[in-house]
Amino acid sequence: MIRFDDVSVTYRGGVQALRGLDLTIEDGEFVVIVGLSGAGKSTLLRALNGLVPATGGSITVDGAEVVGASAAELRALRSQIGMIFQTFNLVNRTSVLNNVLMGRLGTVPAWRSTLGLWPADDRERAMQALERVGIVEKAYVRASNLSGGQQQRVGIARALVQEPSVMLADEPVASLDPVTSRQVMGDLRRINRDLGITTIVNLHYLDLAREFGNRLVGLRDGELVFDGDIADVDDDTFMEIYGRAISDDDLVGTEDDLT
Amino acid sequence: MSDGGTARPVRPRPRLRTLGITAGLLAFTVFAANEVGFDASTSWEVWTNPLWEMFWPIPWDWVLDRSNVLDPLVETFQIAILATIIGCGLALPISFAMSRLTAPNRPTYLVSRSVMNVVRAVPDLFWAKLLVTAVGIGAFAGTWALSIFSLAVMVKLFSETIDNADPRPLEAARASGSRHLPAIRTGVLPTVLPEYVAYALYVFELNIRASIVLGLVGAGGVGRVLEAQRQFFRFDRVLGILLIVFVAVFVIEQVSVALRKRLV
Repeated sequence: MIRFDDVSVTYRGGVQALRGLDLTIEDGEFVVIVGLSGAGKSTLLRALNGLVPATGGSITVDGAEVVGASAAELRALRSQIGMIFQTFNLVNRTSVLNNVLMGRLGTVPAWRSTLGLWPADDRERAMQALERVGIVEKAYVRASNLSGGQQQRVGIARALVQEPSVMLADEPVASLDPVTSRQVMGDLRRINRDLGITTIVNLHYLDLAREFGNRLVGLRDGELVFDGDIADVDDDTFMEIYGRAISDDDLVGTEDDLT
Repeated sequence: MSDGGTARPVRPRPRLRTLGITAGLLAFTVFAANEVGFDASTSWEVWTNPLWEMFWPIPWDWVLDRSNVLDPLVETFQIAILATIIGCGLALPISFAMSRLTAPNRPTYLVSRSVMNVVRAVPDLFWAKLLVTAVGIGAFAGTWALSIFSLAVMVKLFSETIDNADPRPLEAARASGSRHLPAIRTGVLPTVLPEYVAYALYVFELNIRASIVLGLVGAGGVGRVLEAQRQFFRFDRVLGILLIVFVAVFVIEQVSVALRKRLV
């Protein structure tokens, strides 16, 4: 279980990205977070794994406190939390397999990963993760030679190979076209259902949020303004979260829209 | 265009500042020439000096005798190769400590940066003289002086490359719970390695030339032969040595440049 209790994040420049956020997420949930850019979606995810330190309140993951945790505690926590990024964050000049193996950095002894001596067991897990996202045949290809959708699958495999209990996805489809976006969102939902991994996805596109989410959380100016079942959500709810009318830019659309 | 009110911009006038800077440079050149006593008539004296006649003809028998020039030249290359390997090898970890992106903590960053600034502030010729005094005349002193020189050049170039490397894979590594060193090794090193090898080749090119200069102060190699012949006023031999060195350096540079082009 994940608990945010009165969490605030103020950046060094004085920008308040989160204000007194309360949120509880049960094991195995698939939560979609929506909000305008700058609403604090990214900060929320990064506060959860300590990449951005919370400046107030308490965040616990399965009872372990994140705020004020030591470096070793943070590493242990992060190895349990997979993360997927908008820009994939792959190492372009190395193989897909090496990229996926980076997901094992939290568990493999530092000297082994530094020397590139990955245990056979971890290589096997990396291969299995690539099989799960359906691109195992690209294992020895350079990451830069893949398409955007394939690169994001490598990103998902890298998070999966951690065998995490929580998966964070920060705008995972913002750099992809509509068809690939739906495939990647489908991958995430399948992984959530098959493996029971608690999944939190930041999304900008409202139609995708409706299609794939179970529970919707709305952020506006760092505050939680909506939390409920996706079935209860209509356009008025989105207008309330966004503070303006919905436009085409808020929808990923379908392939038909492009022709 | 269809939007009203987008007028074409006026072509900017040549800037007064450019003219000012040019005039300033000219004035300074005249001033500096006056100060150091340079005047056009003295250049005639330099180029009509009987010294220049002593460069001809080149005594090819002496120049091509292995023990006179070629063996010391090989020693020069050995110094350059060894110094490149030692200097660039040491530069790898130090560069990561010196980069804002990859320094493990602020003290390491500040200390490594200031130590390297001090090392760079000492001229390489001075390092050579210092080491010749410390360990005696010969290739050993030259190798160490040049290693220090390679290190100073390399950390400057390479730590800036690391500064500009993509920070996002590093974030991904940290997010998976990695320690600092493995995160750098897997997230940053692969992206900067081609530049590292290219810089090492460039430093090797510099070292070939620098090792000849260092030889002038007694640090071994062909530079020492050059200096000895100059002291005996055997300028015909000096010209022969310079020609051999020119050919060797040219060939090595061409190979190195071709290799570097393929890397980056």
